Amino acid sequence: MRSIRNLPILAVAFFISTASAQDYKLPILEHVYENGLRLLVIERPGESRVVSKIFTDMGALNETPGQFGAAHFLEHLMFKGTPTLGALDWEREKKLHERIRAAEDALINELNRSRNDLRQRGVFHDYQHEETTPEIDEQRALIDSLNQQVQELSEEGPQSIWYMAYGGTGLSATTEQEYMKFDIDLPVDRIELFLRIEADRMRNSVFRNFDAERMVLVEQRLGDLNGVATEFREAMNSLVGRASMVYVPEGYSNDFQQYTRRYERALFETYFVPNNTTLIFIGGVTLDEMIPKVEKYFGYMERAPEPARYEGREPLPSAEKRLIWRSDTLSPRVEVRYQIPGVGHPDRPLFDVLAEAFEVQLQSTMTDAGVEGTVDINTLVVHTSRFGAPASINIELVLEDGLQTDIAEELLLAELQRLGEEPLPAERISAAQKKLRTEWYRKAVDPYELAYQIGHFEVMDSWRTLKPYLEARDAATADDLQRLADKYFIDINRSVGVVLAVEAEQ
Amino acid sequence: MKKLLLLAAFVTTPCLSQDLTHPLEMGLPDSDYQRPDPVESQLALDNGLVAYVAKADQVPLVTMSAFIRAGKVSDEKQGAAESLQDALENSGPSGMSSSEFQLSLTQMAADFVVEMHDEWTEITLNVPAEDLDRALPIFAGLLRHPAISDANIERAAESVAPVARFDMDAAVERFSAIIYKDHPYGMRPTTDNFKNLQVKDVADFRAKYFVPGNMTIAVAGAINTQEIRGRLVDLFGDWDGADIPDVKQMPAVTRSEATLHHVPSHKLQSWMVIGLDLPPVPLEDQAALDVMNYILGAEHLKTRLMVETRYKYGYTNDASVFLEDHWYGPSGYTVRSYSRPEVIENIYENIMGELVRIRSEEVTEQELFIARGALADGEFPVRYLDGYALARSFALERLRYGNHDRSASYVQRVRAVSQDDVVNVARKYLRPDNMQVILFGEEAFELE
Repeated sequence: MRSIRNLPILAVAFFISTASAQDYKLPILEHVYENGLRLLVIERPGESRVVSKIFTDMGALNETPGQFGAAHFLEHLMFKGTPTLGALDWEREKKLHERIRAAEDALINELNRSRNDLRQRGVFHDYQHEETTPEIDEQRALIDSLNQQVQELSEEGPQSIWYMAYGGTGLSATTEQEYMKFDIDLPVDRIELFLRIEADRMRNSVFRNFDAERMVLVEQRLGDLNGVATEFREAMNSLVGRASMVYVPEGYSNDFQQYTRRYERALFETYFVPNNTTLIFIGGVTLDEMIPKVEKYFGYMERAPEPARYEGREPLPSAEKRLIWRSDTLSPRVEVRYQIPGVGHPDRPLFDVLAEAFEVQLQSTMTDAGVEGTVDINTLVVHTSRFGAPASINIELVLEDGLQTDIAEELLLAELQRLGEEPLPAERISAAQKKLRTEWYRKAVDPYELAYQIGHFEVMDSWRTLKPYLEARDAATADDLQRLADKYFIDINRSVGVVLAVEAEQ
Repeated sequence: MKKLLLLAAFVTTPCLSQDLTHPLEMGLPDSDYQRPDPVESQLALDNGLVAYVAKADQVPLVTMSAFIRAGKVSDEKQGAAESLQDALENSGPSGMSSSEFQLSLTQMAADFVVEMHDEWTEITLNVPAEDLDRALPIFAGLLRHPAISDANIERAAESVAPVARFDMDAAVERFSAIIYKDHPYGMRPTTDNFKNLQVKDVADFRAKYFVPGNMTIAVAGAINTQEIRGRLVDLFGDWDGADIPDVKQMPAVTRSEATLHHVPSHKLQSWMVIGLDLPPVPLEDQAALDVMNYILGAEHLKTRLMVETRYKYGYTNDASVFLEDHWYGPSGYTVRSYSRPEVIENIYENIMGELVRIRSEEVTEQELFIARGALADGEFPVRYLDGYALARSFALERLRYGNHDRSASYVQRVRAVSQDDVVNVARKYLRPDNMQVILFGEEAFELE
C-alpha cells in the first residue's frame, strides 16, 4: 500500500485571470497540486504583510438532523491544538483521550438504547432540561473527570499564541452553510508559520475541552436569541426552505448536548482533506515563492476520496406560505421572500441589481402613500448574503404604525406586480449598479475582505465566477430585471411574514 | 550507480513527511519593521492646518477625513455639540439644501460618517474616484460653512430620550454614569438644555473649534498626491487661522469603594461590567500598560481572562478588557462579560482572581514574548498598513500630541517592557478596592 507520506505533489494546472474589465482588478493566480489542494495568490509586490486564509468546502449543509451546528462546533474544537502544539506531555495525554473515547462509546450506546425515551420526554428540552438516565450521567461524569486531567496536561490557545507572538493580526475563523475558514494576517517573511500551523490543524487537531466548549456554543446561541428579531427570522427561514438544514447554520441548543467526539471526528476526517481545501494569499508574496512553501507543509497529504457535496434541492414551490408573528418587542413589519437561485446561476447577480433599484422605488412609493417605515431588500440567510445553494430575496418593510400592515402588504404586492409589467427606469438601474460597484470596491480595498470574497465564491461555485458575477451586475438591463420579476415573483414562490403587536390580537 | 540514483530520487522528492517544527525553532526572522516617515505624506498650511495625503490605488475610491479637537464635552452650552453633529450629518454645507446634500451623497454612492466622541470629532467621506471633484468642495464646505438650523437642534433633542435596554451597551452606559457622576464626562444634555439652545449657540461652538489649527485632515485613495495637495491649498488655504482654543483639561473623578450595582433583568443572559477609572497615562507607562492589557484581556483569543472564563469552564463566549481613551482626563477601564445567569457569579470570581494575580505575580517570559511580538510586529504596523490607515494614524496623532514622537518610539518602548514593568503598572492602575461591578442580571451576589 502506498504510504501517504510518499506521495509527491506536482503542479497540474496554472491559470492567470487576465483582467479583461479594467474596473475589477482580480489578478488571481492559481496552482492546483496533484493531491487536489488549490492555491490562489494575488501578488502585491512590496507589501510588507500577507493576508492568509484556508477554506474548507464544508459547513452546516453537511450536517445531519440532530447534529445541527456540529460544523460550527468543529471549528471551535480546531482551536484546541495538536500533539505538537498545546501538549505538555502528549504520551500521557494521549492515553486519556483513548479512555475518553471508550467512555463516549459507552455513552453513545446508552443514548441509542434510550433514544425513544429521550426524544419523547425531551421534545422541547434545552440545555437546562436535558433528559438523562443513570448510565448517561455516569459516563458523562467519567468523561468530565478525564477532561480535567487533559486540561492539566495541555495549554489553551496553542495556535493563537504563536500567530500573535510573530505579529499575526485578524486571527479568526468562521463557519457558515458552505464553508469553514481560518485566517490570519502576517508579516511576509513569516508566512511559513501559517503553513506550519494550518497543515497541522488540518491533520492533527485534538479535541480538548470538548464539553466546556459545548457550553460556549450555548452562550453564542443565547446571544443570538437576545436579538429581538432572531426567532422571527429563523421562523421565516424555515417557512421559505423545505431543505431545512440550509437555514440552521448555528444549530439549536437541544442539539448541542448530542454532539459527540465520534461525529465531530468523522466530519473532520471526511472533509479536511487536500482535495477539499483552498489556500488564499494576498500581499507581498508571489505564486512562484508560495508553490514550494505550500508543498513543504501540505505536500505529504494524499488525495482523499472526494467528500460528498451537499445535494439538497428545494422542491418546486406549490403554494404561498404565510406566517403571523405576535410580538411586543419587534417592530411591526411585513416581509415577503421569494426563493432565488444560488451563485453560479446566471440570474443570481441580477438579483443584486434588482434589490438595490427596487428598494429605492418601493421606499418612494411607501412615502407617497403615507405609509411610514423603512424598506430593506436583502438576500440574507442568517449571516450570509450570498449563497451557492438556492437562497431567497427578502423584502422587509418595517413600519411605524402596526395598523398599516395590510396597506403595506397590498402596496408591496402591487409594486412587485408592476415590476413584471413595466421596466424600471434606466437611471434607477444605473444608480443601483454604481452603488453595487462602489460597495464592491470598499470590500476589495481590504485584502482581508477580498480574500474572503474569493474563498466564498470558490466554495459556492468557483473563484472564476467572481469576476463574471460582478460584470453581469454592470451589464444588467431593465429587460433582464423585468424577466426576473416575471419568473420568480410568482404567488406560489412567495412566503409572507407579518409581525403584529400582541395587543392587536386582543 | 544504483546508490546515486537513489540519492537523486531522495533529493527530488518534494516532501515525504509533515514538518512539525515548533514555531520557536522555525528560524522565523526578527522583525525589521520601520514605521513610515510622516513627513513624506504631510502638508502643513500657513494657517495651521496639517493634512496627510497618501496614494492607495488598489481600487478607484478616495477617502477624506477631518479630525477636530472638539467633542461632546467641549461645548459651553449643553446640546450644542450634539446639534452640530446632526447638522454635519444631515444638513450639509451652506449653499446647499439638506435634500440636495443627501441627493449628492446618494448619487456618489458615498459612505459618509460623522463620529463625535467626548473630546474630538471625526468626519469621513468615502466616494468613487470619479466623484472626487464633486466631493472635495462638499467636504470643505462641511468643515468651513455647515448649514445649521433649528431642525438640527430638534432632531438632536429627540435622540436624547432614554430607552430602556438590557444589553452590554446599557451596562457600559451605567458604568460610565457611575464613575463620571458629577464629572464633565458624565454630563449629557437634557431636553431642557435643547429647549434653551439657539442656532447661534451651535454656530458659535463650531466657529470656536472648527478652525484650521484645531484640526487635521487625511486624504488617501486613487489620487495624484501632488494634485490633491494643490486642491487642499485651494480649498483651505484662505481659511483664516483663528486662535486655537485652549485644551480643556478634565478633573479627576471622585473614587468610590468597590460596589455591586445590580439592575434586575430577566433575560436569557446576564451582562456584567467590572471596572474603574484610570488617570491619564503618562508616556513612560503606556507601553507597559499595553503589554499588561494584552496578557490580561485585550481583545484576542488567548488572554488570561478568556482562559479562566471561557476555555476552561465554558462560562461565557467572551471576557475582555476595554480601555476608554480620553485625551485630556480620566478614562474608564472595564472588563466586560456575559453569560447564562446561573454562572455569572463564577465569572466575576474568576475575573477578580486574574485582576489580583496580575498585580501580585510576575507574568511569564512566554507571555511577555507573545505580547511584545503581537504589539510591536502586529497591531502597531497594521496602523500604517495602507495609504488611508497611515494618513489617518498620523492625522490623529498630530492633532492629539502635536508631533509624531510617540509612534516613532513605540516599537522600541514595547520591546523594552520587562516583567517588573508589567507588575508595576498593574499595581498602579488596577485597584480592586475601587472596582465597580455593574450587573444586569437576575440575582445580585456578594462582592469578594
